[in-house]
Amino acid sequence: MRKRLCGIGMICVLAGMVATAPAAMAGPTERYLHVKVEDASKGESVNVNVPLSMAEKILPTINKGDMHNGHVKIGHADMDDVDIRALLDAVRTAPDNEFITVKEKDQDVRVAKSNGNLVVHVRDGNKGGQKVDITVPMKVVDALLSTAKDNELDVSAAIKALSDAGDSLLVTVEDASQHVRIWVDSKGGQE
Amino acid sequence: MVLFGKIVLGVVGTAVAGVGLLCSEGLVEVKVEERQPQVHHLCVIAPAMLAPIAVHFAPQKDLSHAAAEIRPWMPTIRAALDQLRENDDMTLGQVKEPGERVRVAKEGGSIVVEVEDKDDTVHVSTPIRAISSTIEQLAAAGPAL
Repeated sequence: MRKRLCGIGMICVLAGMVATAPAAMAGPTERYLHVKVEDASKGESVNVNVPLSMAEKILPTINKGDMHNGHVKIGHADMDDVDIRALLDAVRTAPDNEFITVKEKDQDVRVAKSNGNLVVHVRDGNKGGQKVDITVPMKVVDALLSTAKDNELDVSAAIKALSDAGDSLLVTVEDASQHVRIWVDSKGGQE
Repeated sequence: MVLFGKIVLGVVGTAVAGVGLLCSEGLVEVKVEERQPQVHHLCVIAPAMLAPIAVHFAPQKDLSHAAAEIRPWMPTIRAALDQLRENDDMTLGQVKEPGERVRVAKEGGSIVVEVEDKDDTVHVSTPIRAISSTIEQLAAAGPAL
């Protein structure tokens, strides 16, 4: 009786292993960066879908201008002497908080760190009620700063981090007629 | 009679092998549908292997210029085509305007470009393998660096 139970147990374990093997053996799910621009007033739309694995492989091969081996050089002169790397590093190490809040009659700007994301909200009543929402996972910011050189950002590592970060809506821009969305998910199409 | 049979078998075998070799890189498919002023359908299917072969017959002067332009980008092109080959079928880009549509997609092992307006529809499908070997031929065509 005991031997039979032991045998049944072994069969169950083997069946379980066989059932879960394909999932374990399957490679990581492909993730796509989607860009959608719609202009309702003109009836125009542009959709672009880029597999992140492709971006990851292509970026290190581009060696032109400030881009080399997946890194982009940032000069202080281009940023009006703002040290973008130090700025991002300060945000990265700071706790969740609202960093900037500007409220004017027609404008509302908010920059915050919340739930592991860097969040930027802009509402502009002057530009036809334009709304801009940007959400960047802090893991992506970490990856951007992962290079040892002070004047460089590691775009390749940021793409990899974005791929690992899961489905996320990165950017939305809306005004009276135009709608822009940038997001990452595992669907090859946008429908 | 036996000799005749052997000759026929040899000719047919060679023809089949030749067609197989010619089609080894897949087929380029071009479909054009004109709707105005009259409806016309045009469909051309050609072995993709002809494209890299055709590069050999292009004027060397023009090829050298193209080769010099494309060579610095070869690592990027190779990486992009290799990844495209591995990726699932997908629409890479689509632009829609009233009465017009352009779509670039990866379907099977091919890159498909579709352009549609109120008068015509054009559909071009080219195997990625053929694009890759044609670009390699083009890059190798110029003077050695």
